[in-house]
Amino acid sequence: MRPIAIINDFLANLRMWYRSKGTVFWAIAFPILLMLIFGAIYQGQSDVTVSLYVQDLDGSEISEEFISSLSEQLNIENIPADVDGDEYISENNIRAALIIPEDFGNTIYRVQQGSNENISLSLSLDPTRESVNGIIRGVVGGTLHGWNNEITGSRDVLTFQEKSLTAEEFKFIDYFMPGVIGLTVMTSTIYGTIFRNTKYRKWGILRKLSTTPFTRWEYLISKMLFMTFVSFVSTFLIILVGVLVWDISVTIDIYLFIIVISAAFAFSGMGMIISRFVKEEETADSAAGAITFPQMFLAGTFFPLEVMPSYLSSIARVLPLYYVNEGLRDSMIYQDSSGALFNTAVIFSIAAVLFVIGALVTKWTE
Amino acid sequence: MVASIIKVKDLTKNYDETKAVRGISFTVKKGEVFSMVGPNGAGKTTTVEICEGIRKPTSGIIRLFGKEFSKRSKEIRERIGVLPQEYRSFERLTVKETLKYYSSFYKRKRNIDEIISLLDLEDKKDDLYMNLSGGLKQRVGVGMALVNDPELVFLDEPTTGLDPRARRGVWNAIMSLKEEGKTIFLTTHYMEEAEYLADRVAIVHKGRIVGQGSLRELISDHGGHYNVVMHGYDTSRIDILGEEASVDSEQNVSLPVNDPEEISQILSKVMQNGVKFESIEVRRANLEEVFMNLTGTTIEEGDAA
Ligand SMILES: Nc1ncnc2c1ncn2[C@@H]1O[C@H](COP(=O)(O)OP(=O)(O)O)[C@@H](O)[C@H]1O
Ligand SMILES: [Mg+2]
Repeated sequence: MRPIAIINDFLANLRMWYRSKGTVFWAIAFPILLMLIFGAIYQGQSDVTVSLYVQDLDGSEISEEFISSLSEQLNIENIPADVDGDEYISENNIRAALIIPEDFGNTIYRVQQGSNENISLSLSLDPTRESVNGIIRGVVGGTLHGWNNEITGSRDVLTFQEKSLTAEEFKFIDYFMPGVIGLTVMTSTIYGTIFRNTKYRKWGILRKLSTTPFTRWEYLISKMLFMTFVSFVSTFLIILVGVLVWDISVTIDIYLFIIVISAAFAFSGMGMIISRFVKEEETADSAAGAITFPQMFLAGTFFPLEVMPSYLSSIARVLPLYYVNEGLRDSMIYQDSSGALFNTAVIFSIAAVLFVIGALVTKWTE
Repeated sequence: MVASIIKVKDLTKNYDETKAVRGISFTVKKGEVFSMVGPNGAGKTTTVEICEGIRKPTSGIIRLFGKEFSKRSKEIRERIGVLPQEYRSFERLTVKETLKYYSSFYKRKRNIDEIISLLDLEDKKDDLYMNLSGGLKQRVGVGMALVNDPELVFLDEPTTGLDPRARRGVWNAIMSLKEEGKTIFLTTHYMEEAEYLADRVAIVHKGRIVGQGSLRELISDHGGHYNVVMHGYDTSRIDILGEEASVDSEQNVSLPVNDPEEISQILSKVMQNGVKFESIEVRRANLEEVFMNLTGTTIEEGDAA
């Protein structure tokens, strides 16, 4: 192993890389454009469906009826009655929640019998999502107003008290940015590997190299260093745009590094395996497209798996890009260290397997 | 005694069905240009690439510098320089960067500027490879085979597909190597190329060497010394010239003769029979004829087969 030969090969790659407009576009300009365009389209916007989490502490028929009338206009999610509501809300990053108090049904019953009491529901909302909050307030307030009319004809028996949620809020771009990183690392390493292997084989460069003292392992190490380097260049440019333009708060930790390196190895491995079957330069493009496009759309780059039909989201779970995206989200954005650890472990293992197979099937000569 | 740099004995190579090389033996001596000439598919590339350690032989003994490749691959690689057939280099490196790139792999290095001037590439040294003409690309390819100042240089069809002017340029480059005393293993399917550059020639046909030796030896053994070519000769009367006469693609009749004195006998035979022709030419036999005599086809016909 001679480091000088490896460094020279690395530098030659770098030179060829920045001289080639196509590769620079895909590794740098394309992800930046994605960040700017999608960031602008979804500016300030959050979830597409308006969800309200409801904790029913009353558990009576009356409270169930109330919830079902809310569900005509909102997507209702359930908070179990036996947990601490506020804790649950903050732990699960819930952006809108309604807590129905214990005595809800009985109070309404007593009022109907002539009692003079009233009762208040607690509505927690995230102040940064004003457009969505308006909808929720309107629906909750409107429904309460309807019930009040029915119960007494005039008096506000049922009211709600609003609480502000202070926890940080996630915008679409927060979700999107890790996906752009995953996507870019995937496309530049898969395309890079397939094109390089196919061209170099066809042009006799691999045969030529095999007559020099440069070894296949030195070659492989140099190429992996290079692909990893390019992946980090893309990653940090994307983060830079996210932070400077969209004000995303990003956590950079060890997971980010392991995931990006694993992704570079996993996708290079994939590229090497594919290049075994690509004989002509002309087919390299479609082969690379065939492996990257489905991953791009299925692995939760542009939209969450939750909005996809379940058979598609189960496909996503076998795609390496899914774990890259999820791992990056957990570590950079959500600060969910157990999720980050799990996804990092998965992509690391996938990388080890794909890379070893890729390296073994890559031959310089027939 | 001159040391033999390459020694190949009873080499065979089968690819599944194809018997590409069927028992080839030859030696390449130090300081000579040894050329394998033959049509496409004759087995030239298979033979050189086995010598270069790229492919594995089916059977046979191959020694470079007296050593077996499989046992001394690392050492041997330091001492050889290779230009593979139909080689294309990195599009986006300049001439100089390409040579430096390959140079970085070797312990022994030859000065890059010296190689550039030897191959007459000074004006182009900072041009990207992708912007060079075919002839210049091949000269860079030769240069790439010189970066470690090798004792033995392999050039596999270095001028195939080039126009005659570009071919000249590559020949001049190879000539400069020859003048430096390098041992060169050259394959080609151009007879003129072997005639111009080679000290010794092996003619390969269908996986076998059908004749080898110096140009002079081959011509005297298999060429006939001279060739009488008659233009505008009535080809239906070829019988009076005997068995050795043949008709080429331009309808010229040619006949090998060992001795210039035979020419007057031929002429009087033609006159006596009253056959007319437009002009007559006496040529020294060349490799083309040697090939023809050894294989019964021209090299172009061999390509098609
Ligand atoms: N890798 C290969 N696999 C199968 N057949 C091959 C391979 N390489 C060459 N051949 C066949 O072997 C024969 C000799 O080819 P080659 O050595 O390339 O000849 P040349 O260099 O003289 O043109 C041809 O019939 C060719 O088709
Ligand atoms: Mg060949």
